[in-house]
Order: sequence, then structure tokens, then C-alpha cells
Amino acid sequence: MTTSTTREFNLLNLLRNGSGGWISGAELSRQLGISRAAVWKQIEQLRQEGFRIEAQKSKGYRLLAMPEELTEAALTMGQVLPIVGRRVITLGKTDSTNLQAATLGAEGEAEGTVVFADSQSAGKGRRGRTWCSPPGTNLYLSLLLRPAIAPWDAPQLTFLSAVAAARALRNVSRLPITVKWPNDLLVNGRKVAGMLNEMQAESEQVGWVVLGIGINVNMRREQFPEDLRYPATSLALEVGEDVSRLAIARELLAELDRAYAVYLRDGFAPIRSAWLELFPFVDRLVEISGAGETVSGRVTGVDGDGALLLVDDRGKELRILSGDVRPL
Amino acid sequence: MDIKELRGLIKLVTDTDITEFELENADEKIVIKRGTQPEIVHVQAPAAAVVAAAPAAPAIPAAAPAAAPASADAPAPIVGETINSPIVGTFYRKPSPEAEFFVKEGDVVEAGQTVCLVEAMKMFNEIEAEFKCKIVEILKDDTAPVEFGDPLFRVEKI
Repeated sequence: MTTSTTREFNLLNLLRNGSGGWISGAELSRQLGISRAAVWKQIEQLRQEGFRIEAQKSKGYRLLAMPEELTEAALTMGQVLPIVGRRVITLGKTDSTNLQAATLGAEGEAEGTVVFADSQSAGKGRRGRTWCSPPGTNLYLSLLLRPAIAPWDAPQLTFLSAVAAARALRNVSRLPITVKWPNDLLVNGRKVAGMLNEMQAESEQVGWVVLGIGINVNMRREQFPEDLRYPATSLALEVGEDVSRLAIARELLAELDRAYAVYLRDGFAPIRSAWLELFPFVDRLVEISGAGETVSGRVTGVDGDGALLLVDDRGKELRILSGDVRPL
Repeated sequence: MDIKELRGLIKLVTDTDITEFELENADEKIVIKRGTQPEIVHVQAPAAAVVAAAPAAPAIPAAAPAAAPASADAPAPIVGETINSPIVGTFYRKPSPEAEFFVKEGDVVEAGQTVCLVEAMKMFNEIEAEFKCKIVEILKDDTAPVEFGDPLFRVEKI
């Protein structure tokens, strides 16, 4: 244990022993033998790790909640999960859950394995962007699947994880969740979850697919990066209080498993219609960027493959396969 | 079926109101689809069946079945071995817009080395070389839309 974490540990013990919950900054400073500025810095560090600590000028500091531990037992106990979540791996800090799941895929891991991480140092976004992944506060996971489908059908799974995640978030938070094509989840027009998928395929058969999901659960306003490309939020910011990561994660495993069973049995059609019910952009003007030239038009729908259909201002029909959608 | 017969078949289909046409026999499978998109023809055939004018076309390597696209106006066939797109999507020559290209013309790549990405609907497919080869020609521009089976690279097996 390094000196700084020993100090944090001592600070935590003092916070837990504080009478009535509150302990003043001066008292902490005296007992730890460090400056009040150093106390404040350590409090901030603990908050980054998922500890909920309240601060008030007149009273000092108070510990409200410990970070919620994501363990395999806590995630799967009492759940019936025939495929998704058959094996759950929980990591502390990792590079990227997608990378970890892809490595497992390449090594022959069976389908259904889900890799969770408390934080990611290189969380993957579209086109080399990073997904902001601080510890103790959000959910980052990747699901490994091996459906017996052709590579050209694999993009359908993008819609599958979007539908399952939207349902899980709605079931637990009761918030109205919508989708932005193809798979960002929005609450009140702000992005609350993002997904990135990767596949490996032989000529006519998918080898493995990794469905990566990042959900902003309890992220606070000041934790969001300043250079966000799209307005973002967290479930806690929208609900007004902390939301259980564990409850969301458990619900998500159940919904992913359910949606995958439907997909294997009935194909893409039911997934597509469930997705369309969450999609409020039909008839709206949007701009697509980030995959070749930027185009804009009015959304007319989504075709049988999941491609976004637009009509531009000259009445020309456009079929969009990739890019970032922004409402105009 | 040679290119002439294929042309005739396309004309036959496009002269009618048929939107989708499929023909399959022991040797080959031909699918013609039309709609508001430019007409796309997918041809799947065992490697031995010549789909373009290339004499005794070698097995087309990499992550695609032995397939070659042909549009109604039949572009010049690509001779030699190619790495083809296994899905419809957007072709990326770099992992991110600021990054270096995965490969350049003249590069020698090892089997299993990533040569490009093809994305459709946030599903990213890393295309790998199936064998050690030299990248002779890059046939699509970065961020260009590609169809299923489109040749992306002309390569020379080493």
C-alpha cells in the first residue's frame, strides 16, 4: 500500500468514526498531520473512487455511502441467465472491456461471457475517441457473443444491445429513454449511454461479436469532460439522487439475455420494431458527420438492415450506414 | 456464367418490375436486388467459377467469399488477388482520423495483420490479411462507402 492510499484509508476511518457523521476539516487535518488543503485533495480523490462524501462549511465532512461493489455473485445471484451472464468477470481498472472481451473471443471463450470494469483507462468510443470512464460511479461492460449468423447481419446486434439497455435503464430509473441512431441512449435529449461493437468474421460466418456498453449512472456534472461532442447526462443527474449501479447491471444482464433469445428465435424484425418505438427522430432534420462528407436531411425511417434513411433538401433519398447523428 | 450473360440477365431483370432476383445452381448463386439504391449485384460462386474476365481467377482471399460485385454498367474487372469487404459499410484506412494509415501501397503485411476497418451501424469489423502479402493497390478511399464483396485492396501473395 502506498503512502497516499494509507492516508486515504486513515481519512476514511476518521470519516466513519466521526460523531453524528460530521468531522471538521480542522480535526481531520490535526489527526492526519496534513494541511487542510491536503485533506480536501484526499476527499476529492475518495469521491473520484466512488465514495459519496458530503461537505459543509460549518460542519466539515461526512461519509454518505461507500462505493457499490460489482462482484460476480452480486451481479448474478438469483438470476436465471441461460446465455448472457453465464460467466461474469469483474475487473477493477482495465484498459477497455471491449479489448478484454475481444481477447477472450480470440482465445475461444464461450459466448455469453460479460466483462465488467470499475474504470477504464482507454474506454473505446467511435473512431478512436475515448469513453470517459471514472471509477466507482458508472457501468462499463462488454458482452461476448457467437451467433450463427453471416457477417453482413452482425450490425443488427447494435440494435439488440440498444433495446436491452434502454429497457434496463427505464425499468430501474423510470426515466423516459430514447435512442439516437444507431445506439446512443438519451434522456431529455442528453446522452446517458453509449455503445460500441466489434466483430471478427470468416467469409460467411461471424466468429465472435463484442457488444460494448457504457452507462453514465452516478457521474456528477464536474466529472464530464469539457470537450464533449454531444450533451451528456447521468441517471443520477436526471433522477435527482444516486441510482444503484448493481440494480442497473443486473437488469441489463437479464434484458440482454431476453433480447438475445428473441433474436436467435425470431430474427431481427422484433428487435427492429422494439428499437423503432424508442426512436423519436422520424420526420426530424438531422446532420450526419464523422464518416466521409457531412450530410443532412429529414429522417424517414430505418430500413430492414437498420440503415438510417433520410431525404435531403433536394428530395434525394440517402441511406446512412455510419456516422454521428445530431438533430438540427 | 460469364460477364456477357450476366449483363443480359441484369437487363432482363431490370426491364421488369422485379425488385429482387435470385438464381442458384450447383455452381453459382446470383442475387440481383434493386430499389431506390443504385442497382447492386452480388455474385457468389465457388472459386473455380469465373465471375469476371480474369483468366482462371485465383481464389479470392481474406474475409470475403469468392464474390465480386458488378453493377449494371460493369466496371473494369480487377485482376489478381484482392481483399474484399465482408459487409456493407464505411471503409476506414485509419483507426482514428488523426492516426496513421493501417497500410500503404507497397507495404508488406503479415498474415493476421489489420489492413482496414469496415463499419456499419457502430459494428466495427477489423479486416485482416489472411496470408503474408504485398499491398499493390488500395482500391477505395478512406471513409468511402463499400458494398458487400467490394475489393478493397489488390494484393500479391508472398
